[in-house]
Amino acid sequence: MHLQTLLIVFLLSLAYGQDRQLISKLNPGCPNCDSSYTLVYTRAEGQDDTIHQIWDFTRGVPSVIYAVGTVNSTMTIAWNRREPENFTFTESVKYSFAAAIDKLYEYEDCQDVGHIDDRCPRRALPLRDVGWALNASILTSDEVMITMHGFYKDRRRSGLIHMKLDLLPFTDYAVDLPRLIHTANSSLIDISLVNFTTSMNASRYAIHFLMVSTDNWNDVMNYTMRKSLDDEHTPGVFEIIEVKTPKSRTSGAGGFMQFRPVGYTEQERSVSSSTNAYISPITRKPLPNNMTTLGRFYKDYEPVELLAQQMFISFGLPGDGYYKQRNFTSWSFTFGYGSPPVESVSLFVIIIISIGLGVPVLLALSGVTFVLVRRYRQRRNLPERFIDDE
Amino acid sequence: MLCTGSIVSIVGNTINLLLPPATSKDPGSYKSLPVIEFNNVTIYFITRKLYSFVQYKQLASFSPCTYTLTTKDYKRRAQSSKMESSEAGGSSRLTQVPPTSWLHPSNRIHRFLALLLMCFLCFGSYFCYDSPGALADNFKNDSHLNTSQFALLYSIYSWPNVVLCFIGGYLVDRYFGVRLGTVIYMTIVFVGAVLFALGVYINTYWLMILGRFVFGIGGESLQVVVNNYVVLWFKGKELNMVFGLQLSFSRFGSTVNFWVMEPVYKWVANYYSGYEQLGVTLFLASLTCFISLICGVILGWMDYRAEKILGRQDESQSDEPVHLKDIRHFKPVFWLLSVICVSYYLAIFPFIALGKLFFERKFDFLPQAANNVNSMIYLLSAALSPFFGILIDKTGRNMTWVIISIVTTIAAHSIMAFTFFNPYIGVITLGISYSLLASGLWPLVALIVPENQLGTAYGICQAVQNMGLATVLILAGVIVDKYGYLMLEMFFLGCLFVALIAAVLINILDSANNGVLNMSPAMRESVKTNALTTGTDETTNLLDHEESTDQEEVDCKRIPESSLEDQRSMESRDISAAQSNRIRSRYLAQILPNTNVERQ
Repeated sequence: MHLQTLLIVFLLSLAYGQDRQLISKLNPGCPNCDSSYTLVYTRAEGQDDTIHQIWDFTRGVPSVIYAVGTVNSTMTIAWNRREPENFTFTESVKYSFAAAIDKLYEYEDCQDVGHIDDRCPRRALPLRDVGWALNASILTSDEVMITMHGFYKDRRRSGLIHMKLDLLPFTDYAVDLPRLIHTANSSLIDISLVNFTTSMNASRYAIHFLMVSTDNWNDVMNYTMRKSLDDEHTPGVFEIIEVKTPKSRTSGAGGFMQFRPVGYTEQERSVSSSTNAYISPITRKPLPNNMTTLGRFYKDYEPVELLAQQMFISFGLPGDGYYKQRNFTSWSFTFGYGSPPVESVSLFVIIIISIGLGVPVLLALSGVTFVLVRRYRQRRNLPERFIDDE
Repeated sequence: MLCTGSIVSIVGNTINLLLPPATSKDPGSYKSLPVIEFNNVTIYFITRKLYSFVQYKQLASFSPCTYTLTTKDYKRRAQSSKMESSEAGGSSRLTQVPPTSWLHPSNRIHRFLALLLMCFLCFGSYFCYDSPGALADNFKNDSHLNTSQFALLYSIYSWPNVVLCFIGGYLVDRYFGVRLGTVIYMTIVFVGAVLFALGVYINTYWLMILGRFVFGIGGESLQVVVNNYVVLWFKGKELNMVFGLQLSFSRFGSTVNFWVMEPVYKWVANYYSGYEQLGVTLFLASLTCFISLICGVILGWMDYRAEKILGRQDESQSDEPVHLKDIRHFKPVFWLLSVICVSYYLAIFPFIALGKLFFERKFDFLPQAANNVNSMIYLLSAALSPFFGILIDKTGRNMTWVIISIVTTIAAHSIMAFTFFNPYIGVITLGISYSLLASGLWPLVALIVPENQLGTAYGICQAVQNMGLATVLILAGVIVDKYGYLMLEMFFLGCLFVALIAAVLINILDSANNGVLNMSPAMRESVKTNALTTGTDETTNLLDHEESTDQEEVDCKRIPESSLEDQRSMESRDISAAQSNRIRSRYLAQILPNTNVERQ
């Protein structure tokens, strides 16, 4: 009976092309949590392993944690009031990778180059001061998606942070530009900074990432800029940036972030509203303290087992009038486990090339055949004359 | 007259034509001569013995638009050729004393001065035509135009010219006259350029479009008048050289634009920023139109003076009807050729129009470097076309060359689409292929279509090509915005594949027809002789046209009727003048419909 059920499930998942089975819960094990506390736990079960995924907004800092365990592993969360306190796994975690957007930076772009620069003034806006509200959610086996609205609790600071996190059980291109590929192993995350007030003349906003992985503490994460021939999905953008953990680099079984170096300055994402997104060098960072969700999650690890890094993502083009010109900046990235997905040349391209090259060749061949046959026949029809001539 | 060639940079229409054929005994009845306008494509058409080459510049508008040569022009030409022969030191009995002062209109230096003015007359409109292309990314960033809006800036230029080139030349012949016409059209061009700059300065899109539209109205017709001027002032050998020079100069105008605009834009940044900076840059660019306008006025004065001194006079003109129904009798091969005309050029001009951003984004070129790459295509076509003309004239086998150039163009686009090789490789291949194709393709029309329908035939090629370009420019912008540059390249490759299929089909049809289109000059000659003895078939017909284009010797033995007439009419005149006229007219017979002038 069980076998039968498993078989049916297996066939169904094949039919739907599902790579993992998703089971997701909002604030699991927290009876007191209301809509202002959001933690989504997703268990994505695959054939060889299970990815436990946590999207946490409870402490203000948006955090995404991936933990990879065996197929049958499970995780439970112990809550302290409305904040997650302990994360317990039934089996030991094989690998874990996490990222948190712990701060926004308002920076003066004094050279008007677009990206954040040490020589110019900047101001940190920690996200622990932000209150988040769950705006929309889908928690099904076909899709796990939440959208969040965040406001600084300090009323003097206006502006809305809009975030959307999306996980599908199969590989697909995102609907919106820059149409990143998300897989069952990676989540698509959009972040928009809407109507922020600026306090400097040449203000732009940057996002500060804190990343932790269960790699050796003195190793490094690094990023590579890869060029692809295909800008079909992101018109005009040929580069893809991939941040990889040491394990992802060496064995393909680590964490990664993937994004295009492009942001958007309007709600409607298009080529004309695009702006540049810059990644800063990745540097070392002390482990987060126990007051944060990341700190709580990794508190049982030895310091030498944890690699903590930080980086900035900043946005802008020289001469674009800075953030205040549009009062809007949005950006997307995917966050996942394994090897970053590689985009493939679409069927359309292949068809055009094969038709385009095939038809003239066929025509030429048939033309040559036709001419040869005709000449042969002519020769056969007129043999006597040739003989007579001789 | 439209200057300019690409879509991005040169959209020029107009055909640079030679002298008219002399078709009757009496120079006085030598009435009107159609001028064919082409878009953006240059064809150098060199004959072995005629020492002259014709260039067709082909692009934005089409026609045949008629432009009338009056008897006075004819007289003037006759006079000049007399002068030329006496200058050449021949023992001519025409003993008009060559003026020694450079102030005399027939003096070489004087004419050279006029030539300079004519070149600069074109320079302004060519220069301004390509300003958006040279500042493409600034338009995107400062004026926030998306690619399709940007592409419309170019295509709006072509739209009025689909119709206007019919009218522009006619108005000049009928009402304005060359001098006034030049000033009027140049003023329109200048106003258009200023309106466009104003539209950018106040960041109003509809005003930009209006500006480009007005600019297009003037630009196309300006080309016609300048050609008129050239025909008035130069003749024979010199005429072809002048057309060549003028064409190179217009390419030069586009190229200079690509080199200069970016530094100017940066300099303006000291005083303005944002779209105001862009607007001011364009105001500065429109100054070139103003300079051209001044050249036009000076040239007008010189022409007025020349008319007085040389005693040119007006005569009435007559219109002759065009028979559009002739189109029905065009051979399938001609229609296939039009398919190549459209589809091949669709893969060139829109590419140049959108190329700058492509090089910046895909290959990380700086804006200036991207412009330099982009301008390579025109530079190469300006430099190489004459040589390819000679090559094809020597070797014949036009269809083979056409197919080779289509294949290498496919290779060039593939290199740019599917590799990260330095784009110079792709662009240089593209430029070479493009020049080769132009040299091989356009003379083919003359081999296929009877000469009296040639004007219509070129007009049709021009028309479909213009319509194609105007629509595809918009489409190309949409493709880039929605699907990216790889898809754009795929679209270009698709167009090229269509061209390749058409070329292969032509080859097949042609080889069923003894392969005239693909013969070497020697083979054409021998086959022609055979055909003459065996009777009249398709081949004879084809070779009839062919012979006078390429085969000087054959021509001498078997002169076409019109030339015979021509020759008879010349008997009473100076022999050297007659000779040169005969050669010219025979040559022209290939390019122009002679007796029944087509009007549309």
